[in-house]
Amino acid sequence: MSGIIDFANAVFKPLIDLGAAPMMLIVLTLIALAFRVKLSKALEGGIKLAIALTAISAVIGLLTSAFQDALNAFVKSTGIQLSVTDLGWAPLATITWGSPYTLFFLLIMVIVNVVMIVMNKTNTLDVDIFDIWHLAFVGLLAMFFGANLLIATILVIFIGILKIINSDLMKPTFNDLLHAPASNPMTTTHMNYMMNPIIMVFDKIFDVIFPWLDKFDFDAADLNKKIGFWGSKFAIGIYLGIFIGLLSHQGVKEIFTLSFTAAFCLELFSLIGSWFIAAVEPLSQGITDFANRKLKGRTMNVGLDWPFIAGRAEIWAAANVLAPIMLLEALVLPGNKILPLGGIIAMGVTPALLVVTRGKIVRMIVIGALELPLFLWAGTLSAPMVTETAKKLGAFPKGLASGTMISHSTMEGPVEKFLAYLVGNASKGQITFVLYAVLALAAYLLIFVWYARQMKKRNKIYADEAAAAAAK
Amino acid sequence: MYKILAACGAGVNSSHQIKDALETEMSNRGYDVQCDAVMVKDITEDMMKHYDLFTPIAATDLGFESDVPVVDAGPILYRMPAMAKPVYDQVEQAIKDSGKA
Repeated sequence: MSGIIDFANAVFKPLIDLGAAPMMLIVLTLIALAFRVKLSKALEGGIKLAIALTAISAVIGLLTSAFQDALNAFVKSTGIQLSVTDLGWAPLATITWGSPYTLFFLLIMVIVNVVMIVMNKTNTLDVDIFDIWHLAFVGLLAMFFGANLLIATILVIFIGILKIINSDLMKPTFNDLLHAPASNPMTTTHMNYMMNPIIMVFDKIFDVIFPWLDKFDFDAADLNKKIGFWGSKFAIGIYLGIFIGLLSHQGVKEIFTLSFTAAFCLELFSLIGSWFIAAVEPLSQGITDFANRKLKGRTMNVGLDWPFIAGRAEIWAAANVLAPIMLLEALVLPGNKILPLGGIIAMGVTPALLVVTRGKIVRMIVIGALELPLFLWAGTLSAPMVTETAKKLGAFPKGLASGTMISHSTMEGPVEKFLAYLVGNASKGQITFVLYAVLALAAYLLIFVWYARQMKKRNKIYADEAAAAAAK
Repeated sequence: MYKILAACGAGVNSSHQIKDALETEMSNRGYDVQCDAVMVKDITEDMMKHYDLFTPIAATDLGFESDVPVVDAGPILYRMPAMAKPVYDQVEQAIKDSGKA
């Protein structure tokens, strides 16, 4: 393995010295060409990725610079040490896609998916190439904490296999939630659904202790309609500017500046995030074409990004209610260092809640509030790695205080971040961490196996209902 | 100019794939189309009035009835031409029906 890494370093060193943006232009273009993408399309994707990397670093610089003085004053006036700036998912995706290891993990997972299909271990073809960055992030985090590439790759494959199995398990529930026929091939391999097993534990407890709360379910679409633009990205930025400004005793002019800066940065993060999608689109199509050629017409489920379920209003109603809850939890949660900002609309949290509870909105909110600390702690845990990687990529503003860090408050896969931490440290040979890592991985697998059994029972009921309806 | 509103969860990934695919394909078919991509949660009745067609990623509960025609555009994301074509055909038909062709 070290020979491979040394060889890779020898090949990549001149590229790395060019800086992240030119390096990823070249690497992405070459890999797209390897999947038989036309040169012009492959190059277009590479250039877009380089532009996105450059743009995101500029916006991060604007946001963190604007908030630096206010956050220092905030700490002084409140005594609350929330030194990690929450950038939301788009900058984190940018930073992760800026690492060549992400493309390596992508290649590995394409191979794993094809092998699972050929061995009939799954019916899902994962075409959501862009979101491989969630899994790659886990691998990068494990390496940051001490794992070598081999150990990190094994961890990525282990979680990746469970993720693909989960997409098969969830398929009938998606059909139910979308009122779609069984022939609909839509499912998802998205990382945020790896919270399902833990949510299902809470859901079963809910079944026993609080089933009466379900009668308080309300019309989620109606709530969303009433909230209107007040729950939009720019509105969230305005609130945060006012919140920080007031608690840090800023003047009216400064509070306006903070609010408008946060608002336009949150809007720009999403806009620049869309450039990433465009950047990896030629590669995504190339990989899908490659997989389709190898499958020779076999009918498959198609693993997409999570948002095809976003039409269910409960996702947004729960996210809107959870946003202020998360802010309050962040202020009092021991060990948390993140002030929710970019990730405060908890898209990494609510889709899994919807799938497990099947839209019981009160359960979604209660269980969501209970699991949010996991996300805040995982975001805090990841902050040093994100900050260091951003600095390496030149995506971190110069002149910020040394203690300032960046991360994401509701990033998908919080439990997997803790696994990465334990596995990374265990790789350094510390016996305590080896023990913790083994126990954690065993618990993670066992709870998934239990969850899979519950989902198979649920899916049998769906199948029986469909058969009964067909017999009528 | 025929205006389409595409929507998905984050308003970034899937909806932008739908936007790019519709603009490219409708342009190839000879129509002047502009498509915007937004988050599902940001859609309001007022916003919808500015568009001729709504193309969500899947059936969407907005809390109000859409006055404009709706075409579920999710199959575009399967990246298989045979699955995307029916969506393009429905969009083309909607353009023709609008009289803005």
